[in-house]
Amino acid sequence: MSAFKKSPLSRRMLLRWSACGFGLLGLRGLLAAEESRNPLAPKQPHLQARAKRAIFIFMHGGPSHLDIYDPKPRLERDHGKPLPFERPLTFAEDQVGGLLKSPFQFKRHGESGIPLSELFPKLARHVDDMCIIRSMVGDSVAHGGALMQLHTGTNTFTRPSWGSWVVYGLGTENQNLPGFITLKPTLFHGGSKNYSAGFLPAAYEGTPIGYAALGPDDLKEPIQYLERKGLSPELQRFELDMLQKMNRRSAEQANFDPQLEGRIQAFELAARMQTEAPEAFDIAKESEVTRKLYGLDQEETRDVGWQCLVARRLSERGVRFVQVSHTYRVGNPVGWDAHSRLVPNHVGRAKQVDQPIAALLTDMKARGLLDDTLVICSGEFGRTPIAQSGDGRDHNPYGYTSWMAGAGIKHGFIYGATDEFGYHAVEDRMHIHDLHATVLHILGLDHKKLTYFHGGRDFRLTDVAGNAAEKLLA
Amino acid sequence: MNSSNLVHMQQGGKLGTPGTVVLLAGLVLGPSAGLLAGSEPEEFFETKIRPLFAAQCQSCHDDKQKLGGLDLTRREGLDREGSGGPVIVPGDAGASALIRAVRYESKIKMPPTGKLSATEIVDLTEWVRMGAPWPGMRTARRTDTAGGAFTEEEKSWWSFQPVLRQEPPAVRNADWVRTPIDNFILARLEKEGFEPAPAADKLTLLRRVTYDLTGLPPTEREVKDYLADDSADAYETVVERLLDSSRYGERWGRHWLDVARYADSTGVDEDHKYPFAWKYRDYVVDAFNDDIPFDRFLQEQIAGDLFPAEEQGTVNARGIIATGFLALGPKLIAEQDKKKMLYDMIDEQIEVVGKAVLGLTLQCARCHDHKFDPIRQRDYYSMASIFRSTRQVEDWRTHVSELYFMPLVPEAEAEAYFSHQKKIKLKDQQIKNIVEEQSATHVMRVLPGVPEYLIAAREVMDAPQPPVPAAAASAETAAEPNRDEALMRVASQHALDAVQLGKWIEYLKPTDEVRPHLNWLLEAGEAELPAVAEHYRAEFEKIATKRYADLAQWRVEFDQALAKGEKPPERPSFFGGENRFFTETKTSNGPLGVSREERKKVFSADAFERLTHLEAELRELKRTLPSKPPMANAVAEEEPYQQHIFVGGNVHVPGEAVPKAFPAVLTHGKQAEITGISGRMELARWLSSPDNPLTVRVISNRIWQWHFGEGLVRTPNNFGRLGAAPTHPELLDYLASEFVNRGWSFKTMHRLIVFSSAYRMSTETTARARETDPDNRLWSHFNRRRMDVEEIRDSLLAIEGTIDFGMGGTLQAGEGQGMTTTNQLPHFDASKSYRRTLYLPLRRANIPKLLTLFDFADAATSTGSRSSTNVAPQALFMMNSEYVSRVANGFARRVLAERRTPDEQRVRQAWLMALAKEPTGPEIEEALDYISAFQKQSLDKDLTEVTSNRMEGPHRSPDYPAYHYSASTLAAWQSYCRVLLASNDFIYIQ
Repeated sequence: MSAFKKSPLSRRMLLRWSACGFGLLGLRGLLAAEESRNPLAPKQPHLQARAKRAIFIFMHGGPSHLDIYDPKPRLERDHGKPLPFERPLTFAEDQVGGLLKSPFQFKRHGESGIPLSELFPKLARHVDDMCIIRSMVGDSVAHGGALMQLHTGTNTFTRPSWGSWVVYGLGTENQNLPGFITLKPTLFHGGSKNYSAGFLPAAYEGTPIGYAALGPDDLKEPIQYLERKGLSPELQRFELDMLQKMNRRSAEQANFDPQLEGRIQAFELAARMQTEAPEAFDIAKESEVTRKLYGLDQEETRDVGWQCLVARRLSERGVRFVQVSHTYRVGNPVGWDAHSRLVPNHVGRAKQVDQPIAALLTDMKARGLLDDTLVICSGEFGRTPIAQSGDGRDHNPYGYTSWMAGAGIKHGFIYGATDEFGYHAVEDRMHIHDLHATVLHILGLDHKKLTYFHGGRDFRLTDVAGNAAEKLLA
Repeated sequence: MNSSNLVHMQQGGKLGTPGTVVLLAGLVLGPSAGLLAGSEPEEFFETKIRPLFAAQCQSCHDDKQKLGGLDLTRREGLDREGSGGPVIVPGDAGASALIRAVRYESKIKMPPTGKLSATEIVDLTEWVRMGAPWPGMRTARRTDTAGGAFTEEEKSWWSFQPVLRQEPPAVRNADWVRTPIDNFILARLEKEGFEPAPAADKLTLLRRVTYDLTGLPPTEREVKDYLADDSADAYETVVERLLDSSRYGERWGRHWLDVARYADSTGVDEDHKYPFAWKYRDYVVDAFNDDIPFDRFLQEQIAGDLFPAEEQGTVNARGIIATGFLALGPKLIAEQDKKKMLYDMIDEQIEVVGKAVLGLTLQCARCHDHKFDPIRQRDYYSMASIFRSTRQVEDWRTHVSELYFMPLVPEAEAEAYFSHQKKIKLKDQQIKNIVEEQSATHVMRVLPGVPEYLIAAREVMDAPQPPVPAAAASAETAAEPNRDEALMRVASQHALDAVQLGKWIEYLKPTDEVRPHLNWLLEAGEAELPAVAEHYRAEFEKIATKRYADLAQWRVEFDQALAKGEKPPERPSFFGGENRFFTETKTSNGPLGVSREERKKVFSADAFERLTHLEAELRELKRTLPSKPPMANAVAEEEPYQQHIFVGGNVHVPGEAVPKAFPAVLTHGKQAEITGISGRMELARWLSSPDNPLTVRVISNRIWQWHFGEGLVRTPNNFGRLGAAPTHPELLDYLASEFVNRGWSFKTMHRLIVFSSAYRMSTETTARARETDPDNRLWSHFNRRRMDVEEIRDSLLAIEGTIDFGMGGTLQAGEGQGMTTTNQLPHFDASKSYRRTLYLPLRRANIPKLLTLFDFADAATSTGSRSSTNVAPQALFMMNSEYVSRVANGFARRVLAERRTPDEQRVRQAWLMALAKEPTGPEIEEALDYISAFQKQSLDKDLTEVTSNRMEGPHRSPDYPAYHYSASTLAAWQSYCRVLLASNDFIYIQ
């Protein structure tokens, strides 16, 4: 190992050699062992970190910013009139109507007076802790591309997901849990590509906990293979000792080949994870009051409630990046994708998430976790100000709303704006690349320095674009 | 980031050690991504103005035509040649001739074909107002592909030079040399003052070569036979046996599938299934087993569809299937910028051909000239031209493009099937048309009476329900008679048809579904009800009149087209949500609909007779449908296409036209003439030519790498400037020229390599080697390597005794491009299959978890070498998975199978099966101590006797002779077997 540490040039050469493969871990060098022993060890951020970890709440289908976060008096006024400018590329060409006013009432909330619609009465109590980004922009009008871009930065190629980049850049605080956990991810619109490590080493891949269709009760063993099957703890330790004895002997015979050493460590880490990780998922330990707070006692809120509560427990235990997914599932086949029947769709979806997300913010705040955790909430796009099928809205990646709460950002703050119809972001445009750059920045990573050499060049989450939005930083 | 494309940056994060590396920003950017990089005016110009000029103006005002002296490809061109003068006054839109012309305010109205859209005019005005920014004032079309002549340095890059026949160098220790490879390796070692590692022992070598050539462990029998074979060529015998085995093609075919980024679905988006991808996989396996010459193998994968069939009257099915190499990449078929979608597919093909065959990152030249290698943007688009003239999907213009399936039978035969199917479809539509026409007539006939029925239905539904008698079995069954009673009463009161009224009540009564469109009707007070009911009727009539008229008109056109044998027009679309009351009530089971049984009564006699007749014809057509032709996911020729360079990679900004050609730096001015439609045949020939130095070097390097774990060039997919230099350039050229000379035969190369002393070295290292050559660039010893996931899973099955050596076919159900749009689909459960791992379905968005856990190739992109990690989740799999537990159990049962075998013998047998290694005396003793201690510890837990040696349940298990041993004996042996399977000695190949 020492030979290698003395020679950064060789390291670089190694990096080069590994360019077309999967990075360093296939190499014979000692670096490989160091990495493979613990690729998740905490690392120094590039910058002063404003938040230590992140929770990303994903709303699949494209919630309508115009009906939740971004009130548009102009739509009231011109309801039914044609859109006065040409529509940009859209997803659906059928059944396009005129401008559609929001059927929901907006009210100002908190000291900041930020307006939210009646769809989110509970979340509304937290506006003073939130930063509402009203100027989101993406490049895809179809779900597949939009999901991929939100999660990986690109809608064309398959690349590492942002959670993977974060853990690659920062490692993680708790070595007994994975660094990037995604709760009940969707299986389509990119599926596992949305949390994959891509060309980064596999250690940075998101660990999925179940998948969308499973109910909280189906997740007996949240992390795969965590539970001992058939052996008592004592017998398993006895077995493991035998294994490690053999492995140490073979490592010795191989002059302590670091790969072999790395594997011995991996088994010890696994044994520790097995003891500590189940506890992180054990919500039975939570009080009745807390469980009620998250809505675990009601059918509608139980799924997202469970996810939010587990997300809090994982964050509390130092998991660097946790994703919650409110996604298509049985009984909710289209998520937020209200091409028609906007009212029942959004009323139903909002009921499923309002209380759990509000509970997450309440609970995190009470525990002081919001002081060093960033919460991000976004759909893959917003919806059009013009009607589709009479009472719905089409996809709109040209201007929509996401929000953040917690550490590192201005609170009770509205960032950016769409035009008076809510179609295009016009002020402080926050492209998905910018969102990624901003989130990395808050976590202490410079998106231009967070690179990985692959296939002949250095790659970034933000490709060649992206700017951290300084204005919204605290 | 600003427009600077080459930025020096600190290496972040991962290494924790700062070192400056060059960030090649923009090398492969999505076409739109680059546009966001600029400052605002530049961005405005690039996104709004330049595409507008390109689309609307440049057909006349470009650098060639310059109509009116105006050239809108360059900023300077705005100043008209001749006497015209500038067409804009920066900052003053009103004074600019260009603005007046597009507003149609001046005598000259541009474009003459029709006024621009209001937005476009506003954009142009805004642009002039901004001062007409034009990024860098550069010429629009030239900059990105300024390239031009190659410099000497560019041309002299090592991998572009002809392969030279190398004489094996002389060595001092000539005894060590078994094949010429050894000369090259040893000469270098001697020069550097290194000793080669001693030869590996017999069993280590057996295990190594068996995994290497077949991906499987040697069986206990094979181990024993080999140990017993004292002949001089015992090893050679083993190698020949392995090369003759079909398991060989499964192992080596899989290597190529990594490079070919093989998978069974489109991956991105909805992850549509490639239903016939498996045929390509099977083709690859067969090609290796049959030792098809690599040049031929390559040609087939690029242009197999263009090779003639071997037999007259058949098609070249094998060749068509082989083009799966091009067809099976990730595809985003729901992308709505259809042109971008198409060029993303083409880009993906350029990338895979570049990386897999040439070891070049050609895709880096999509937006600009390659920053490091002499690949110009025009080279990229010359290649793109070939794939643009190749069929990618059924129709790239459609909303969600359909994947292309090519029949594997002669056109006439396929046509017979498809035209027959078309007939069925048309017949079916004719039937539907009659039903629709007659139903519409019926609906309009009864519509006036609808309000009456609605009012009556409400009356029945609102009728007070008498209390349920306590004796009734259930509330539901009791309530019905009461409602029926009310129904009969109301029907007779208003002289309405009771059955019809019943249908309305059935429709209106509350269901689980939320139906806001019925609220008004159901909640209307008695007084307003008649008006509300009439409103529903009137709205119905309005929409029905329009819709029925549209359909009637369409039916006329349909019949006309049918009579002329033309393709009927599309049925006019209709969105049912517009008036759900209309949509729902008129369906065949709705209150206004006509059910199948009612047709005879309701339809006109003539219509009914026609219907009966057509239905009989349809049945006959269905009966005589020929069997469906076999199909493949493949590419085909399309029409020849004149490709243009896309400025900045933006598919909407075409630049200069380019001919079809191969990268110029490699053709040395001797570009083969392209006469085919796409040029794929010429491309295939050029790629597979022995004179193409890259192809043969790249594949020779791969062969070496797949034997030794690392290549002579350690960046197998990149032989360009950012790739690694070969550790042994002469050896690489020797291998390359041998490969060609010996007929591009893989098996010949395997013999050359595995018979060498270099291959037979042990993994032992000296302190000096570890310190000065930690990466073994001198090949002073053999590289220890972790099994890949196929080896791990296949070994587990083999050791369990359950492996199924059935070859080929698919484990996925169904044809067609089925998609993953449900969240209920679990990951494919790899534990339920006993087939070799390469046959597991690979849905790109849901690769079986076991595979990703052990570093499977990223099936989205050509993978030259996989990583090999050792992480805790893998350890958890070994310790806790039911899978390993099951295998260990089966393994233990095998070891316990013979009653009379002494326990020492059982330990030895377990070692030979799992590790192909003889345990030492102390190791046997340790094992026996462990087993008895384990048994003692678990004794109090389970004393049940195992009376049968057969496992319970549907699990596939060999039948061993049964005898009695205790459950704790089995548990102890199972634990020991799991230890062996989890051990480094198992998972590492020495």
